[in-house]
Formats: sequence, structure tokens, C-alpha cells
Amino acid sequence: MLLVLNALKYLAYILIFPGFLFSFLVGMLLTGIDRKIVARMQKRVGPPILQPFYDFFKLLGKETIVPDAANRRVFLLAPLVGLAGITVLQLFIPVFHFHVFDNVADVIVILYLLLIPALAEILGAAASGSPYAGVGLSREMVTILAVELPLLLVLLAVAKTVGSAMGRGLVFSLSTIVGYQELHGSLITKLSMIPAAVAFLLIIPGETGSHPFDTAEAETEICEGMMAEYSGAPLGVYKLTHAMKIFTVVSLFVALFLGGIGAGIQNLVAAIGLSGAFAGALSLLLQILVLVLLSIVLTIVCISFVHAITARLRIEQVFKYYWTIVTCFALVSLVMAWYGL
Amino acid sequence: MSFLSYQHFPIFTIMLYFLGAFLIVVFGKAKALRHAVAFLCTAGPLALLISLIGRVMVHGEIISYWMGNRTPVGDYAIGIALEVDALSLFFGLLVATAVFVACLYSFRYMERDHNVPQYYTLYLMLAGGVMGLVLSGDLFNMFIMVEILTFAAVALTAFRNKVTGALEAAFKYLVVGSIGSTCILAGTIILYAQARTLNLAQLAAVIPGNFGVSTKLAFALLFIGFCTKAFIVPFHPLAADAHGAAPASVSVLISGVLTKSGIYGIIRLVFFLFQTMNLGTMQFWLVFLGSVSMFVCVTMALAQHDFKRLLAFHSISQIGYVLTAVGLATGLGISAGLYHAMNHTLFKGLLFLAAGAVLHETGTTDLGKLGGLAKKMPHTAALFLIGAASISGIPPFNGFASKWLIYQATYQKAAETGNIGFALVTVIALVTSTLTLASFVKVTQSVFFGQMPEECKNAKEVPFGMRFAMGILALLCILTGLFPGLVTRYLTEPAAKAAFAAGNYINAMMGQGYAERIMGAAAPGAPAVSFASSGVWSPLSWLLLLMIALLAICVVALSGKYDKVSVRSSKEVEKKYQLFYGGETQSFSQVGGGDLFWGFKHNWRHYFSFMHDLHSGIVNDYSLWAVVALALAIVYALIVL
Amino acid sequence: MITLNYIASFFLIVLGLYCIVVKYDLVKTVIGLSVMDYGVNLLIITIGYHPGGTAPIFTAGEINPASVFVDPIPQALTLTSIVIGACVTAMSLSLVIKLREMYGTLDTREIRRLRG
Repeated sequence: MLLVLNALKYLAYILIFPGFLFSFLVGMLLTGIDRKIVARMQKRVGPPILQPFYDFFKLLGKETIVPDAANRRVFLLAPLVGLAGITVLQLFIPVFHFHVFDNVADVIVILYLLLIPALAEILGAAASGSPYAGVGLSREMVTILAVELPLLLVLLAVAKTVGSAMGRGLVFSLSTIVGYQELHGSLITKLSMIPAAVAFLLIIPGETGSHPFDTAEAETEICEGMMAEYSGAPLGVYKLTHAMKIFTVVSLFVALFLGGIGAGIQNLVAAIGLSGAFAGALSLLLQILVLVLLSIVLTIVCISFVHAITARLRIEQVFKYYWTIVTCFALVSLVMAWYGL
Repeated sequence: MSFLSYQHFPIFTIMLYFLGAFLIVVFGKAKALRHAVAFLCTAGPLALLISLIGRVMVHGEIISYWMGNRTPVGDYAIGIALEVDALSLFFGLLVATAVFVACLYSFRYMERDHNVPQYYTLYLMLAGGVMGLVLSGDLFNMFIMVEILTFAAVALTAFRNKVTGALEAAFKYLVVGSIGSTCILAGTIILYAQARTLNLAQLAAVIPGNFGVSTKLAFALLFIGFCTKAFIVPFHPLAADAHGAAPASVSVLISGVLTKSGIYGIIRLVFFLFQTMNLGTMQFWLVFLGSVSMFVCVTMALAQHDFKRLLAFHSISQIGYVLTAVGLATGLGISAGLYHAMNHTLFKGLLFLAAGAVLHETGTTDLGKLGGLAKKMPHTAALFLIGAASISGIPPFNGFASKWLIYQATYQKAAETGNIGFALVTVIALVTSTLTLASFVKVTQSVFFGQMPEECKNAKEVPFGMRFAMGILALLCILTGLFPGLVTRYLTEPAAKAAFAAGNYINAMMGQGYAERIMGAAAPGAPAVSFASSGVWSPLSWLLLLMIALLAICVVALSGKYDKVSVRSSKEVEKKYQLFYGGETQSFSQVGGGDLFWGFKHNWRHYFSFMHDLHSGIVNDYSLWAVVALALAIVYALIVL
Repeated sequence: MITLNYIASFFLIVLGLYCIVVKYDLVKTVIGLSVMDYGVNLLIITIGYHPGGTAPIFTAGEINPASVFVDPIPQALTLTSIVIGACVTAMSLSLVIKLREMYGTLDTREIRRLRG
């Protein structure tokens, strides 16, 4: 009986919160807000905020066409694997105090798990046989190469900062990093971590493939690149994966740099004078709310604003940008963390 | 000591290979007999070594064996010895596994070649040479085995002498390989002049602490000699040439086994014979060489357009990881390095066999001439993808498990020593890993996916025998990735502990108390080694979660007719099912492997053109690199030791 | 006297390496390899030499602390090494013949289809 209950609990974690359903809703919401904000900044009315939901459900009903040149099985399976990959990844990113499965993957693993949706997409694109997809996957891979270096430096800097502050050398576990921040304040308040946070903010649009780093799916020149041959439900799944990835990356930022807010919320709940299960639920609810609000703010700042004011870069410019400017920010942070500044 | 006592197993292991080589010369004309002999003589050693795991790995026993039972007299080793500690056994197992699987593969793969009996003879000689090297307890015997394996490898490289470049590659390998072998011989004899013994254990007791100029010279010579065998930079062009030309099953041996013998030699040299790994300068040297190897070779691989040549460069890049991790000289580092060495044997074997399968069916390995093969060879493509995911370090395959340990080990070393240079190594390792991924995306796209050129239309799935061999390796790739705990506990950690326990090694050979008697207080005991790492990664749980999520998504997708919507009404060509060409009619257009990743290569164009010019293909240049490396090694050894 | 041997062996090894690095002729490369090998062989023999030593052939009871003989092990090693050297030479010369057939030249600068 207990086993069944436990199994149900974990199933709920995977499928509802913090797994699939939650990140599905928030991700779609973020996409909708992003589209709306960009439109308003360009003096357009823009679609309704729920438009991504409508798009998704409409795509599910559309006909799926598998080209003759495509490798059918891989072509159809790849989007599903990508979706599963991002769903599972979301489980490892704590919602402030709330975390499940914290003994499965550390930040270095998360760095790799972030690759899985992109790789699934690359595989599906390659399987479609389209030359547009070929160009697209090449660009996507270069974008991954570009982003990976600064992202790693940021993670190493965080691991070192928290590790030396806790006297344990290094800390790679994400829940420990958040736990440290709850006790000692968010990492962004540390001088040495500010460049890293800036670097991470600059990484967000690249990692999620939005303007000006959406070279891999440039609609106007290579016809959506990797998704050129996709239609119907698989395309919908890809759109969903992208939306969820935005939320994943943004909430990773919150966990790494703003983790201290969770303690504030708990103190707030305690200050009101509540205790017991109700207080726990209220605190969790507030934490979720704050996370969603923060995600919206970060999406607007890092994705929508940047989207509205920049033109698409060429792929070699993307690479150069990340390996010079962003890497420098991250490197400064790493060196400062290393020498205890 | 009864005849079938386990103490005889090491010598049986070595002799079985050479016996097989001999028997095939005699009886090799008959195909069935030949295959039977080859099978038994490769399966036998594997079984013998597996039976030793319990004693050596779990209980930490060190098997010492004196040929003809000539045990040491008066503290002097007079006989020829075999000595098997956990480290030797670990490498022996790798060798035996790779040799066995590649042999299974050869049965069908070599069918169309001429002179097949000679192939098996050389093949078993090569296997015996490497096995003899890793199980030997005698420096001169190590040299003999190095010569045998170099010789067999050269002959096998030139085996398909009609293939472009086979002879050329063999000649270059022979020249530079001989320089390396001569270095090993010269180093051996100089050590002999100092210590008047060739026994590894006795040398390990006498040499450390008494470094004269000649000893340092010998160290540099031996080190460069083993580097040649491991194809560490600057010897990497030889590996690339040799792999490209040799039959795939031989490439497996060269990359999975021969390079390991070099790594094994280096470990024996720095941890046992000279025991210099506590020196920071020595660690720096190894880590530096390893990092340079992994980075230079992965960028070289990105510039390649031949399947096997590309794999060859990756092979050295992965060896760079191993050397880097071993050079850290921490428990976690060595364990991670050995883990990666094992994984490298498995996934690189798998990839070479897949390349061989492509060559077998299409007759070419040029990335520009291939494409869309996943439709014709679905099983090979799936197996290749497993190998590619493993080498690129995609969770949960084995490459990720070991690379992750290497990142942990390097960064932990950085934290322990306070030296930010080791953090740089972590960064290089991860960038290399991403570049590896890019390179395998390129192979996947240009060989197995994308559009199929006319020449590949006749390709079909390779025979079951070949797929079976690949399947074994793929299965091992998955298992060693999913159970890192078991692998480290039973294989790599005992081997890593053995690397620190030179004292035990000496005493097992020369009698209890020998090390303490000769070396006094400096005798290396068996220090407690820490394998603690600060990260967490549990592949099984992750896979379980992924499977649940995938299952749920698939159930929903399939019940929503995810895959049924596109049922075609007729067999005729319909525009709807053609690829989108911006309104033009569909025509063959494959994005060539050379054109991928332009955005990356453009930024690095000066580097790439410099590297291209540097690898001139002239044997004199490569020899010059060898001489320069030797000179630098000698200078470095004289300064720091 | 014995110092001369060391100098000669060093000289032979360096000469061999020089020949391999500088000469663009395949046959000369092979000769360089052999010369290097002879240098090492000379080194081995020299290391085993004892001034005034006899051949190390004794029967039981004949040997006593006063008997001076050259070290037998290096001689055995040299024999092995010579055999291996001969094999390498044979192998490389056969490759040279094949290379000449295929490329029509012995110049190493033209035998470079595998590069980059």
C-alpha cells in the first residue's frame, strides 16, 4: 500500500509538479508573455497571451507529414525524447526550498542534460533529410558549442564559491547550493558572483535559441532550419519543448543566484504566525508564485527586450560573442571566486 | 603448485595467443579450423583473466610467477617474471575483451580479403604482444613485447596494401615506432647499467631516491618510448594514418588496445619504477601532455572528412583524457582515468566496427560520398548512435560516467592544491567533450542521416556475425554507463589503489619486507586512497525517470494517433511527401560533412590552416617531432627529477 | 678506452636520427634506423663489459668471488635486439619496395597522400 502511494507520489512529481504539467503551463505562459511584450514594443497589438496554448492544441490536430526522404522512426521519435528529456530535467531544479530527486544529478550533469532536447532535435532534423535542416543543425551545434563554455565557467564559479564558503572544497549539488543561499543570502549579493550572474543572463537567450541567437532556426533564410520538415503533432511537441526549456533555464538561474528568496518567504509565513501543514502549503504556494513571477520578469528582461531591440546575428558572430564577451564575464567571476574576493 | 593452479593463468593467457598464431600458420588453410582456433585462442585468455578478478581485484592478491620457478637468490632477481596486480589485470581484461570481440567481427568482415590466415596470425601476435606487455614483470620483456606488437601492428596496417595510403601509413608508423622502441631499449639498458637488474619490482625498489643523470636520461627515454605507443601528441599523426588504412578490426586493436599498452607503460614508469608522481612538476607534465593531446586531436578530428581518420584523431583525444586524469595522481583521478580507458576501448571499438560495417557495404569511408545509410542499415546506425553518444559523453552512456568523474577529479584537484590551472583543465576537458559531440553530429548527419547518394543505394545490412560483435560492445557501453558504482568498486578502484601500492608490488615479487629493507623509510606502503567526489550522479534513477516520462508521453502521443496521420493514399510520388526546396523540385542535396560547423571553423580558421600545414604527411617531419619531443623530455627530466 | 665506446654509440644513435630526420630518401631512412639500432647495440655491449673479463662460461663449482667475467645478460639482450633490428629492416625494406611500386618514387616528400 505504501509502495503504491509512493509510486503515485513520484508519478505526480513527474507528471504534474514540478514535472510535466507545471512546466508546460509556465513555459507556454512565458512564451505568450514574450510574444505579447515584443509586439507591444514594436507597436503591434500582438497575440493574446494564451496564443501558444491555442497553437499547440491546433498543431496536435493537424496532419503529420513524414517526407519520403526521412527516416520515419527517428523522425517521429526524436521530438518525444526531447520532451521527456526536458521534463525530467525540470525535476532536478529546485523550486526554492522544495526539491525532489536531489540525489540524482548535480550541476555538471544538468549542463549535459540541457543538451538532450537540443540533441534530440538535431537527430530528428538529420533524419528528415532536408538540406535546410542540415544547415539548421549545423548552426544549432555551433550555438551549443558557443554557450557551453561560459555556462560551464559560471557553474564552476558557483560550485567553488559555495564550496569554499561552506568549507567543503566544492559543492556541485544544486539543492545544497540553494540551501546555502537560504542560510546566507542569495549568491547574487556577493560581489564575485555578479559577473557570473550577468554572464548567465546573457546565456539565457542563447540557450533558449531566441533573438538574436536564433540563427539555427532563422525563418527568413533557412525556413525554420531544423523544423523545416516538421508538421502537425511533432512540430507541436517541439514548440512545447522550446517553451519548457525557457522555463528550465530561467528557473536554473533563480536556483543558482536567487535561491535566498525562499528563506524570506518562509520567514514571512512564520511571521504571520501560521504553522503546521497549512503553513507549509501556503509557503510552497507562495514560493511557486514567486518563482513564476521571477521567471516572467527574467523572460521579459533577457528574452523579450533583447528580442525587440536586436537583429539576428550570423552564426560566427554568435560564437565569437559567447567565447569572448560572455566568457570574459564568467571568467572574471571564476577568478574572483577562486581567490576569495 | 598444480598444473591448473591459478598462478599459471597469466602465462597461459599470453601463450594461448602465440600458440594460436602458430597453429593458424600450420592449419590456417581450412576456414572452419582457422575460425575455431582463433575463437578459442581469444576466448580462452578472456575466460582465464575473468577467473582472476575475484582474487586480484576483490582480495587484492598479487600473482607473481617466475618462469621455470627461478625465484630470487640473495635479493637478486635472476629469473624472468610475470607479475599480475590489479592494474595489470585491469589492462589485461581490456585487451582480452577487445581482442575477443574484434575477432568475432573479423570472421565475416575479412571474408573478402586475400591471405586471411596471415591476417589471423598477425592479429594474434599483436594481441599476444600487448598481453605480454601488460602482464610482464620484467623490463626487457616489456621491450620485446613492444617490438612484437609494433611489428604486428605495422604489418596489419599494410595488410590491405591496395588501399590508398596503407603502405605509406605503415612505413611512417614503422619509422617513428622504431624510434620509440629504440628509446625504450636504450632506457632499459641504461637502467640496467645503474641497477644491474631488469626485474620491475627490483628496479622499483632500487631506482627511486637514487636519481643520477643517467637515471633521469633513462626516464625520459622510456617515457617518450611509451608515449610513442600511446600516440600522445606529437605522435598522433601516426595513429590517424594507421587507423585510416588498417582493416576496422585492426583499428579496434590499435586504438583500443595498443594505445592502452602505452598508457600502461607510462603508469608503470611514473608510479612504480620511478615513483615520481608525488612531484608537482611530474603531475604538471602528464596533465599538460594529456590536455594538449585531447584538445589538439579533437580539433584535428573536426577538420577531417574521412570516417576512420576522424575516429582515429578522437581516439588520441580520449587517450588525452586518460593521461590527464592519471596525471592528477589522486585516487579519484586515476580511478576516473582508468574508467575512461575502459570506456574508450568499448565505445571506440564499437565506432570502428561501425565504420568497418559502412566500408564493408559501401566501399568507402569518405564522409562526402555517404549519406542516408540509416534506412539501409538500421541496426548498424542504432549501434553507431550508442557509440557516438558514449564518446560524446551523453548521459547515461559510459562516456559520460567517466568524463564526469574526470571533471570532478580535475576540479577537486584544483580546489585541493589551490591551483587554478587544474580548473583550466576541467574547462578544456568539457570543451573537448562538446567538440567531440559536434564531430559526431557531423558523422551522424553525413553517414547515417541526410540524403542518400546513388552509390549507396545498393548497401544493405551487414551480416549477423558483425552486428553481434558490435552488439556486445554496445551492451557493455550501456551497462558500464548505468552501473558506475559496480565498475569503480570492482575494477577501477582496486587498480587505482594498486597504482599507489608500489611497496606491495615489490614485496609480492621479491619477498616480504624487501622494499623496507632496500628503501628504508622511503618505502611506499599501501596508503589509504580516497575516492570521494563532491558531485552526485545516479544514472539508474535518471534513466528510470526518463523512461517513465517517455512512456507517459508516448502513450498519450500514440493514443492521439501521433504516428498514423501520415498514411499515404498511393504509392506514387506525391509532392506533399517531398522535401521542401523553396518551391523547386526535389533534387539530391546533402549538406556535406566538410561544410558543417562553418560558424565555428570560421572563427578558428587561422588555427585550422596552421594545423593543416603542420600535419604535412612527410615522415621526416614526424621523425623530427619525435626527436624534438625526446630532447624536451630529456631536458625536462634533467631539470625536475 | 671504454669511454670511446660510449661516445661511438652516442654518435651512432645521433647519426641515425639525423639520417632519419634529414634525408628524403626512403632507403636512407631505413639505413638511419639500422644505424640507430647499431648504436644502441654497441651501448648494450659496452655496459656489460668488464676490463680484463673473460667469457661468462662456467660450470658448477668453477665460479668464485675472484673470477672476473663480462656481464652475460647484456650479451643476451644484444642478440635479441640484433634479431629484432634485422626484422625491422626486412619489414621496412619490403614496404619500401611496395611503396616504390605504388608511388613510383622513393622521395618521402612525395609520399604524403595522408596529411592534414
